Parts: sequence; structure tokens; C-alpha cells
Amino acid sequence: MRQEIVQLKGSRYGLQLVFSPETEFKTIRADIQRKLESGSRFFRRGTVIQLVPGVLSSEEEASLRKLFNQHGVLFRVETMEKPATRRPMATLPLTPASPAKAAPAPAPAPAPAAPPAEKKAPVSETATPAVKPEPQPGTKAVAKPAPEGETMLVINRTLRSGQEIRTPGSVLICGNINAGAQVIAGGSIDIRGTCRGLVHAGAGGDTSAFIIADRLMPIQIRIADRIATLPDGAVKTPAVAARAFMKDGKITIEPMER
Amino acid sequence: MSEVIVITSGKGGVGKTTTTANLGVGLAMQGKKVALVDTDTGLRNLDLLLGLERRIVYTLVDVVQKRVGYGQALVRHKKYENLLLLPTSQVADKTAIEPEQMLELTQVMRNEFDYILVDCPAGIEQGFQTAIIGADRAIVVTMPEVAAVRDADKIIGRLQAENKDSHLVVNRIRPQMVKDGTMLDMTSINDILSIPCIGQVPDDEKVVDSANRGIPVVEWDDSVAGQAYRNIVRRICGEDVPFQTFETDGWFTRLRKKLFSHH
Repeated sequence: MRQEIVQLKGSRYGLQLVFSPETEFKTIRADIQRKLESGSRFFRRGTVIQLVPGVLSSEEEASLRKLFNQHGVLFRVETMEKPATRRPMATLPLTPASPAKAAPAPAPAPAPAAPPAEKKAPVSETATPAVKPEPQPGTKAVAKPAPEGETMLVINRTLRSGQEIRTPGSVLICGNINAGAQVIAGGSIDIRGTCRGLVHAGAGGDTSAFIIADRLMPIQIRIADRIATLPDGAVKTPAVAARAFMKDGKITIEPMER
Repeated sequence: MSEVIVITSGKGGVGKTTTTANLGVGLAMQGKKVALVDTDTGLRNLDLLLGLERRIVYTLVDVVQKRVGYGQALVRHKKYENLLLLPTSQVADKTAIEPEQMLELTQVMRNEFDYILVDCPAGIEQGFQTAIIGADRAIVVTMPEVAAVRDADKIIGRLQAENKDSHLVVNRIRPQMVKDGTMLDMTSINDILSIPCIGQVPDDEKVVDSANRGIPVVEWDDSVAGQAYRNIVRRICGEDVPFQTFETDGWFTRLRKKLFSHH
């Protein structure tokens, strides 16, 4: 079997572009273009592709960025091994729906701060002496997208079809999520109402994120990189609140009291 | 006091134009001075339902492009002098009217009418933006069916984003199907859409007949849909009218339907 020129190494934070250092840039670019145009499932719109810095020249990086952007794919040159410098929501360009409400508290640990809502200076490596990034190439990062005590986004309305909330932290929704609406959170999602839309908790890879709803009857539930759907057909309105969480690598739904 | 109300739905075929025609005639029957504005450019139907097709000389497109004043384009209803239709063009398309032009027009027309009802096209593109821009509030028409409710939900979200209050009219309810549990009931619809409902219109064969004749059912005493529209008109005028309970088929009718149905 022929060795692929360009490979994509997946991690829970996104996809990393990998190729042999001897390969000519022209060949790499052509291979990526071929992959993009073939409509490979790795290159869905909104995907983030990362590249370790220093491998390509800045002109070459710019050329690739342009190529990816034409296909709706984001291209970032940044390291995946250092959680402190890495953005926590690498797979999703998250912007809080209402910046005023979503200002995250300055977190002590490797802080996933949302740039638009940031009040303090961006967290840099030197500013976080508490946690030293471990140089372990290829292993998962330690940053949790929604550490304890971080400000929670509160939405006091019903989300209707076509409306979307994206937040790097957790979100509390006092209202319904109607079919056709989406909530994508880096942390957990709590719905004080009926959930009929699409909910994605732990969008940055946090498998401990969970989803709670008074009436949990969504089109799809996603936690980290797992997707679950309810059985087709008429869904009965559940009598009690339920919690969806990851258990042994599977999304599990359990009734709960509150 | 004048009010501009847009009648919209998102999905096509749920009865926006029928509702506009009936509410327009109904309000005129109450003695209000009413203008109906058709913004479904290229697919105009409101003139047909009112039986005014043959009287159209100028259209909304001529008005916004300043070829004529809106007064010249208005078509007076045959029976109710205080009801006027501003038809749109059948040859132009939705891009012929910019939202700002529509806003300007409704602001001028306000001075002359008690109610201006704007018939919105289906969809959420420019035609929708044009139709809603000048409105004080919206009437969202839907049907007891998942696709129509889903689209209504989307439209309500858009209207809320524009700070426009909306009220719901549920059209073409089939009481027997609701009773049998095969059609969405009002509780489920209200649960999803959660906006105040001002109308529940039963499915009525007479609506088809009325469209062909150009006489809206609101004028017909023997039509159940007509009664429902008359109630909506009174609610628009601020009266508190209780909702009708619809009759379902008796055991004999159901037996007959069962025996003679071919399905």
C-alpha cells in the first residue's frame, strides 16, 4: 500500500496535519487540494486543521491557509502539546452569544478564556506558573474547558429553530431549546425547560461534561466527540428530568430528581 | 390610531393570503378603514381571493419606484368601500422592492388607514425582510403539522430579533384528527411556540369555494372557518372572545366514512 503524502492525526482538540519533512511543499499542497476537492469527511466545513510551527515557511503557511479557507476549513499554526498556549476550544470557533453575560472569571489554572469577553490580559505561558505544561508529544492536554467556579452563561429565553448559542464554558438555559436550535458548550448544559434541539456539551473534548433538562427529548445529544440520537418515531414527553453523561465511552441518559 | 400588521408563516401554503383576505374583509365589515398590501411579488394571489384581479392598473413596484403615488395603485373593494388593496407586480420579482422603500411607504400610508395588513411571501429571504420592516406586530399563521410549526418557530425567532410582537393563528385544524390523536393539538403547539394565540381556524371546504368566487369566507354565515375569522377580527380590535369548541363527527358519520372510504 502506498504511503499517504499528507495525513491527519486526530486528537480530541482537532486535527493535526502530518507529513514527512522530505516531501516537497508543492506535493503537499497538491495532495491537500486533492483531498479538499474530493470532499473527504475530514474536511467538513468548520473543521480546524493544526500544524506544528516551524515546519513550513510563512509564505507556505499562508498559501495553505488560503487553500483551506476556500473550503471553509480553519488552518492554524500552533503547537498541540502545550495546553497553556493552546486555545481550549480548538475544534470550534466559539464566541459567546452575549459577551456582557459571558465574561469568564480569571481562572487560576490553564485558563480557557474567551477572547471577545476577556477582561484580564490574555493568559500566557509566563503568567501561569502554577501548572507547567508537560512536554509529552501526542498525549492529550490537561486543560479542562470549564473549570469549577468559572462564570456560567445564563440564557433567559427560549431558543427557536435556527438560533444557536456557543460558549466556551457551561450554560444554563431558562427556557426551551426548540427543534432546529443548537447549543454548543465547552462545559455542561443545564436546561430548565424542554430540550428538543441539538445539544453538544464538552465541545472541546471534556468527557466529564453533562446535559441536564427538565424534559430531555433532543434530536441529537453530543458529549465531547460522541454523538447519540434518540430512537426514531414519536418521542414521548418524559415525566422526569434526565441527565446525559459519558459512561464507559458511551452517552448514557439517566432519570434524575431536582 | 393606526396599526401595521404583517401576516407571515415561513412555510408556504399554510394560508397567509387566505388569512389576510379574511381579516381584511372582516375588519372592513367592522367599519375600519383597511389597506391590504400584497408583497408576494411575482406570485400574487391576494387580488384573486378578493375578486379584484381585473381592476389592477398599477402595482406596488410602480409605487416604490415612484412612477405613481400609492393612491393611484390602490384598488377599492367592490362591496366594502373602506377596504383597499395595494396589489404587487406579477412580472417583477422580490428584488424589485427594497425593505427601506417598504418602510417609507407604510409610514406614509399610516396616516390614512386604521389597519394596514401586509401579506408576506413564504421564505426568510429579502421578501420576508421587506414585508416585516414596517410592521408594528405580526400574525404568524401555522398549521397543526410538524413542518409548519418548525418554520413558524424560526419566523418567530426572527421577529423577536426585530423586536416585533407576534400572535399565532392556527389554520386548517381538523377536530376529528386532533381528537383521535393523529394531529398536533393546541397544547403541543402552544408548548413549542409559546406566543399568544388569537385564532384557531378549522379546516373548511368552503374556503376553496370562496377562493374561486373571490368572496372570503368571513362574509359567509354558514362557514365554520368564517366564524373563526370573525372572532379573530374581534380579538384584533381588542375584544376578549372565547375560543370555539369544534364539533367532531358523530358516531353515524364516522361509521359512514369508514364504510365508504377507499383507503
